[in-house]
This record gives sequence, structure tokens and C-alpha cells, in this order.
Amino acid sequence: MHYGMIIDIDKCVGCHACTIACKAEWEVPAQFGRNWVYRLGPAQTSQGLSYTYYPGLCNHCDQPSCVDVCPADPVSMTFKDAKTGKTITMEVAATWKDPFNGTVQIDKERCIGCGACRDACPYGARYINEDLADDESMGKADKCTYCVERLAEGLEPACVQTCLAGARIFGDLDDPNSDVAQYVKKGAKGLTSTAVQIGPNSMYYGSKQADMELLMQSAPQEMPEASLRRRMLAQMTKPAMKKIKEIGLLGLAGSLLVSSLDNNKSE
Amino acid sequence: MAIHLSRRSFLKTASIAAASVPLSKVVAKAESDVVKAPLVPPGSFKDTQTVVGGVCEMCFWRCQLVGKVRDGRLVKIEGNPKSIDNGVSICARGNAGVKMLYDPDRLKYPMKNVGKRGEPKWQRITWEEALDTCAEKLKGIVEEHGPEALAIFPHGASASYPFHFFEHTVGTPNVSEASFFQCRGIRDMAYVATIEKPPGENVDMPNTKVLFLIGGHFGENVHVSHLKRYLKGLENGAKLIVVDPRFSASASKADVWVPIRPGTDTAMLLAIMNYLIENELYDADFVDEYGEGFEEFAEGIKEWTLAKAAIECDIPVAQIKQVAEMLAENAPNVAIHPGRHVSWYGNDFQRQRALACLTGLLGAFGVKGGFVPPKGPKGLKKVSWPHGEHEADRLTEYSDNPYTFSPPGTPTDLIRDAAITGKPYPIKGCVVWGQNPIQTIPNQEKTIQMLQQMDFVMCTDIQPTDITMFADILLPECSYLERYDYIKTGTQWNFADEHQQYIAPRMPLVEPGFERKDGIWITNEIAKRMGYGEHIPVKDQVEMVNYRLSGVGLSLDKIREEGGIHLQPGVDPYGVDEDLTIHFYNEDLEDEDYPPIPTYIPVDRAPAGYMRLLYGRSPLHTFNRTQNNAWLMAANDSNPVWVNDKVAEALGLQDGDTVKLINQDGVESRTTTTVKVTPGIRKDAVYMYHGFGSRNPELTIGHNKGVDDTSLITRLAVDPETGCHGMRNNFVKLVKVS
Repeated sequence: MHYGMIIDIDKCVGCHACTIACKAEWEVPAQFGRNWVYRLGPAQTSQGLSYTYYPGLCNHCDQPSCVDVCPADPVSMTFKDAKTGKTITMEVAATWKDPFNGTVQIDKERCIGCGACRDACPYGARYINEDLADDESMGKADKCTYCVERLAEGLEPACVQTCLAGARIFGDLDDPNSDVAQYVKKGAKGLTSTAVQIGPNSMYYGSKQADMELLMQSAPQEMPEASLRRRMLAQMTKPAMKKIKEIGLLGLAGSLLVSSLDNNKSE
Repeated sequence: MAIHLSRRSFLKTASIAAASVPLSKVVAKAESDVVKAPLVPPGSFKDTQTVVGGVCEMCFWRCQLVGKVRDGRLVKIEGNPKSIDNGVSICARGNAGVKMLYDPDRLKYPMKNVGKRGEPKWQRITWEEALDTCAEKLKGIVEEHGPEALAIFPHGASASYPFHFFEHTVGTPNVSEASFFQCRGIRDMAYVATIEKPPGENVDMPNTKVLFLIGGHFGENVHVSHLKRYLKGLENGAKLIVVDPRFSASASKADVWVPIRPGTDTAMLLAIMNYLIENELYDADFVDEYGEGFEEFAEGIKEWTLAKAAIECDIPVAQIKQVAEMLAENAPNVAIHPGRHVSWYGNDFQRQRALACLTGLLGAFGVKGGFVPPKGPKGLKKVSWPHGEHEADRLTEYSDNPYTFSPPGTPTDLIRDAAITGKPYPIKGCVVWGQNPIQTIPNQEKTIQMLQQMDFVMCTDIQPTDITMFADILLPECSYLERYDYIKTGTQWNFADEHQQYIAPRMPLVEPGFERKDGIWITNEIAKRMGYGEHIPVKDQVEMVNYRLSGVGLSLDKIREEGGIHLQPGVDPYGVDEDLTIHFYNEDLEDEDYPPIPTYIPVDRAPAGYMRLLYGRSPLHTFNRTQNNAWLMAANDSNPVWVNDKVAEALGLQDGDTVKLINQDGVESRTTTTVKVTPGIRKDAVYMYHGFGSRNPELTIGHNKGVDDTSLITRLAVDPETGCHGMRNNFVKLVKVS
């Protein structure tokens, strides 16, 4: 099982219903979004005029840049494959990539709201909801979950359900017969660039070259610098953190260390 | 105990257990019985009740809804799974209905203006006082000047009942519905003059071979089942022709984009028809059987060669020819879309007549992919106020132009001019119900003059708008989520599917908040106080809907049990109506000295240094009605002005520059907007979304966001046959502010 979403920009009419349905479903503050629609053009491309849309959301990347940078205390978490019943137990911080369904998730209970994951995402797919700040956190990170909670109830993701164009297609990329896999076969692709190749699983299909050319201009051209530094640091410190996971404050101290390094850099 | 209990300490014991279960299962309740606010929102599907029977009115397409309600609070709106129209899909605005419902700026109580009109100071009053005042003032005006002294500006489903009271029973003909006089009235009357019926948007798009749009910008203009039809057509391989000065959302999906000079569409249509006739590419048998006055028509449009139209329309001859041939090759399975908002240039009746004639020439009535009205349910009873004895004194009797083809009501300008001048008779009372004439009717200064000379102005709405600033008494109405009124009927959206019909009466999804009341109650209470109590047709909203449904053996309870929508077997809609007559030449028009065949009437071109102001729809907004919606405004809170890239370069404007707009009469926009530089618009026009820049500070989100396009539409253009407004004959220049 490997969830992915395809957006068929031939069908998309740019109505923005997906973004508002998501806000309603997940009580996303008005100024933020777990997903977005950017209207692109009309602009000239090498293939003629194009006026299209970039309906974006978390890419639940194969190599997510947001996961390793999380400084929250790791805990041991057991994941279960819904199909086979197989389990895997992993040490995870407050955000992780599910080994069975491929989605990237957040544990808001343990999120300290430091913003490292938000800063690490080249797609801008995460935000920090500061309204949820408490004694232990500066807020809570939030982003698209591919509506796994709805999937568990047999429902479609909220954005897919409301899409009047049938332009959002959700399913299992591992299943070659699935609609999403068929779209990939037909040429659906994620927004990647030379510098940003982290395996996005939200992908786009369009038969008009002009539209795809314009859309691909929305691909991020570089990895956020904070992300690179934090990832490097995380790789150095994480093994140690894992051993002493019961000492709760290290997460915060770690994040302070990281942010001070960051400050030094910007000075 | 404070909710702000440290989550970390609370979770100390829970976190280890929680770590191994899905997040959604994390316990949200401590053993100490302290309930903490959930960090993970529960979603709309957990612990909610699904309430059926919603019918949307974020716009007027009226999708069928269900509400997800938790503890009496509406948390989410979805399409009703039983719907054969919109299905489970709803648009951005439909989804944002929740934010409209709970908007803290909404009207909550009856209010009295103790300040000035336009600069109101509100004082909360009781319903008793509000109703007594409205009835006393309105009755006083009727007694002093006659019922004609009342001007009514209604809009929306809930406005029908009150305006019929004032029109039928009290007896004023001075009703101006925005949906007619500033929108689709021209279309409806032009089709009545051509095929004897208003057309709706009834083209069989899913099954067509060619879809022909003039100005239709689907995707920016969003009506769910209409878009489903459009997209199904494209998916099925239909060719799309889009005539628009702008590279619109539809143009971007088109096979042929015709970047026509604004105002000249009729010239192009006449040239296409002339070409079809001269080259015998039209359906002669069909025209023979159903046409009237074809010879006069053919003779009359002869001057319209492709070359002549190409110059007038500023498009290549080859492109007009390509369009004509594409239509002819695929006839009769072609969809000539009648449009919806068509009050553009003051010459629009002619264009709409031409569209109906073109449909006839191509034999595209009643056939797959052509003009095919759905066959919806019949037999719903009508509820109406009885007509009084009074013989209405109509303003059209006094006007130079009788506007013989006016849609029902009275042309807006006749009402406004009479009010301002007092001639031929005074208009001293104004009832506004759900309409916002300030941002609907061109020339705001005149509208304000009209309002200022009134003895009494009453407004009913769900929220403050620009017009409510001018009310003496302001009444808070239940929104579409809190009331019964409209019964939506129709068929399955795609005629290729099993034929079905539906009946979906609007039912409230939640109880009304604060002191909001429904329109039936408000109207009845005013009617009683004005002395019309014995004429009241129904006692309340439930009785009204049940009475109407009784005509088909249904009731609200029964339909609620059926999931909010009643379905029944449908009827094949194809086939040409035996009575169909296509009046290529219309004698009635001739008799009234209007052009009897479709005729091109040129409009002024932009003066040097100015560009024509065009406006259209944002997919996130319905005119100005959604301007305070937190979700919709977060996604789209301004209306950047589209400027051609070459023009921008010449003017020294860059994408994102802030500008104000000044029109040909020197009227300046009160606010500013940004420039959107694009090759996707002609050089002689600019474009912006309609409905922004509200002047009412009570709209804490929408106030002064973007530019109010209507404020710049000061020069009037009135369609001579219908009296409807044309609103695209104003020209602007852009002045860089920063």
C-alpha cells in the first residue's frame, strides 16, 4: 500500500472547492491551508498561452525532508499493515513516514511547534497553528494527512469527495490496476526540479504541454537551507536522542540549539 | 478546572499507550473528567448527525446538501449523496456556507437607523417595533401617493413571497429584480421573442459535438451540475469554441479562442449565419418546418460578409470561417449556449436573438447535444398573493420607449428616475429584500439620490451589505441553512443516464440563531399590520412548502424520510417540440419599431488612453454576497485588474503594482487593487472580478477589499427592447499608486 494523489489538470477548473472542504473538515484556521490552489497565467509558454492551476497539498514524499528535522522526543511506535496485519515498531519523533501506507503524519500531542518541519518543506505544505500553543509548545504543526482518518471510515479524502470535476484521484500507487497507477503510467508526475528530488506522491497529469510547462514552473527550485542544516544536525544527534528518550526536555533543548545555530547563520 | 491543563503532564501516562494506536483513537478524556480541547480535530464524520434537506443558496444554482451537525452546530456541508444533480460535490462557496452561517458580522436583531442613511447608527429594537414601523410607514406612503410609490428590489428565493405581496396585493408594478434587469432578463426575453420560451442554460453539453460559448467563463463561473455537463462534454470529445476578449478559464480549455473586440459579438454571429446560408450549410429542412420569416432574415443579414465582420470584430476572416464550418460540420449536434449574465453592452437583446436563430439554422433544437430543455417534475402547487383591485399605473406608459420586451417588473432606470425627479409620480418608499442595489445597479450616485429622497427605506437581509447602510429599518433574515422556502426540481444531470426527476424542498440544517426570522413570517406580520391580513395565503413556511408539495402527493416529512430528495422516473427530453416556431423575423418587434431581425448595433470604442472595463466571476465569490466570508476571502480577497502585457509595458506598469482606476467621467475608485499583467487579454480592455470593494465597515473582513467595479460603471447603457442595463460600456485608465 502506497497512497498517492493525482490531479488531472485537464479536468480541473480551478474552483477551489478542495481547499474549502479541507478547511471545514479539519478546522484549518482561515489564514492557513492544508492544501491550496494557485491560479497560473494566462502566461505565454513555449507551447502557446496557458491558464491553469496548481492545486497543491502535502506530497507525502518518499524522502520527506520534514521528518528527520523534528526535534521532539522520539517514542517507540508500532505500525500495523491494514492488509496483512504485519507490524513494525520504530522510533519516531513527532512526525514520521508511515512504513505501510507511505503517508507522512504528525503527532500533535508531542509536537512542540518549533517550525523546523515547516521550514524544511520545499513545497510549503506545513504550517504552525499558534492558536494551539500551550505550556509545552509554541503551537502545533499541521498539514494534509491524505485524510487517513476518513479513509479508516471508508470515506474519500474530503477534497476528493467535493471535487466536482473528478480531477482529484486518490488511491494505491502500488496497485498497478488503480487509477492513480494508471495515471502515473500515462505520465503523471510530481513537481520536482534538479535540486528538489524527494519523491513527491501527489502528482499532476495534463495532456496539454503548455499547461504542464506552466505548472512545472511552480516546482521548488531549491531545498530550504534551514532544512539542509537541520537534517545534517539531526542525523548526527538523533541516535543519541533515541538512547535517552525518557529525558523529556532534550527535545526542547535540541530545538533551541538548532534555532540558535540558525540565528548565527543569518547574522 | 482550567482547560489549559498542561497537555504534556496530562499525557504522561497516556502517551506510551497512545503511541501504538492510530492518532484518531487517542483518548481525549482524562480520568479526572477534565475534557481538553482536541488537538486533532475530530473531522466531520465523527459524532455528527447527518441532517438532510439542505438546498444551497451561496449562489442560485441550488445544489442539494446535507449538514454534518455536532451538538447543534453545523460543522460541515456536503453534497447530498442522493442528489442526481450535484451529487456529493459542492463548490468552494457551498463548502464555505458554514462560515456565512456563523459570521459574527451577520444581522442578528431588528435594527433602527438613528443616524443618517448611508452613515447609519444602529439601535437594536424589538420585532414588534420594527414591524409596526415598517407597516405604518409603508401604509402611510401607499395612502398618500398610491401603491406605485413603493419601489421593490428583491433577490433570492426568500424574496419571492414578500415581493409578490407588494406587487400583487398592495399593487406596485415598480419591482426591479437584479436577476432580470442586471443579468439574464435580456436572454430570456430575446429567446421568448425568437422561440417563445426562455432558454435557461439548457444545452446538452455532455452529448454535444461542439460547444459554442460567448463570454461563458466556466470554472471561474461555477455552477456544479452545469460544470459537470461541460466537463463531460469535453471528456467525450466535444470541440469547444470560446468567444471572449479575455483568455478565460474556458478559453484555456478551448479548441478555438476568438479574442473578439468587446461589443461586436452580434456582428460575428450575423457573419456566421450569412456564411451558412450563402454556402447552403444550414439545415434548410428544419428551417422550412419550424422557421418563420427566414427569407426576410436571410436578405437582411446579407451585408454581413466574413470580411466585414472580421474588421468590425478585429479577428481574422479565417477564424470566423473556421467557427462557421466547425458548427456546420457537426450540426445538428451542437450546443449554442444562451449564456446567463448577458447584460453587457446595451445591444444584447440582438445578440441573444442571434444565438437563438443560429441554433435554428443548425437544426440544433431537441437533438442530442443541442438545445434540449430537461423534462422535470410537474404538478407542484403554487402559492401566491392575490391580485388586488388596483389598476397599476406603469412607468413604461410615460416613457419614450415602452420597453415592450421588458422582463416582469419595471426597468430599473424608470423607477430610479421617477424617484429622483418625482415624475411622472413620486416614489417614496423602498423595500430591499436580499438585493444589494448599490453594487448591482450602474451609477451608484443616482441610486443613492433615489434612496435619499425616500420617506422610508426598509431592508431585509442575512448580513450587512452596501445597501443596508441606507436602511431606516433593517430586518435580520434566516439564511438558507436556517429556513424552508424554495423547492428545487430537475432531472439527472446527464441525459445519457437513466431518466430521473427530483424534488428537493429546502429544509433548515440548523435552528435559526439570534432573532432571525424567515421571510414568510416577516411578510405576514407586515401584511397584517398594513391591513391585508385576510389575504395572507399561508400561515408559515412549513405550511407553504407542504401545500406546494401536496400537488404531487408529497410532504416535507415524507421527503425527509427519503433522505431530503424525492426521486421518480423521468422522461426522455429529446425530440423537437411540435409547437416550436423560430421567429427569424419577428412581427411584434417590427410593430414596436425595434429591429425585426437580429441586428448589430455598434457601441462606442474606448477613447484614447482608456480601456473598456470588463468584469466577471471569481470561483470563490457570488457577487458581493460572499465578501465577508472568512474562508472565501482568505482564498481570494481582492480583484486584481488584468492588463495586457504590451499595454502594461507601454504604461510602465508591472505585475503587482498598486493602482486606482478612473473612468471616463472622472469617477475614481475609492480603493486600490493590484495589476495582473498578462498576454491573456486584449489591449483595448481590462478585466476584474465583480463584487469587491464593499463600502460597509460593518463587514469587518470584506470592507474596502479590492475595487468596487460597479462604482466605475457610471455611464448607463439601456437595452432598448428590454430596459435592462448594459454594464460594459465604461472605460477606465489606471493610475499607479505604488
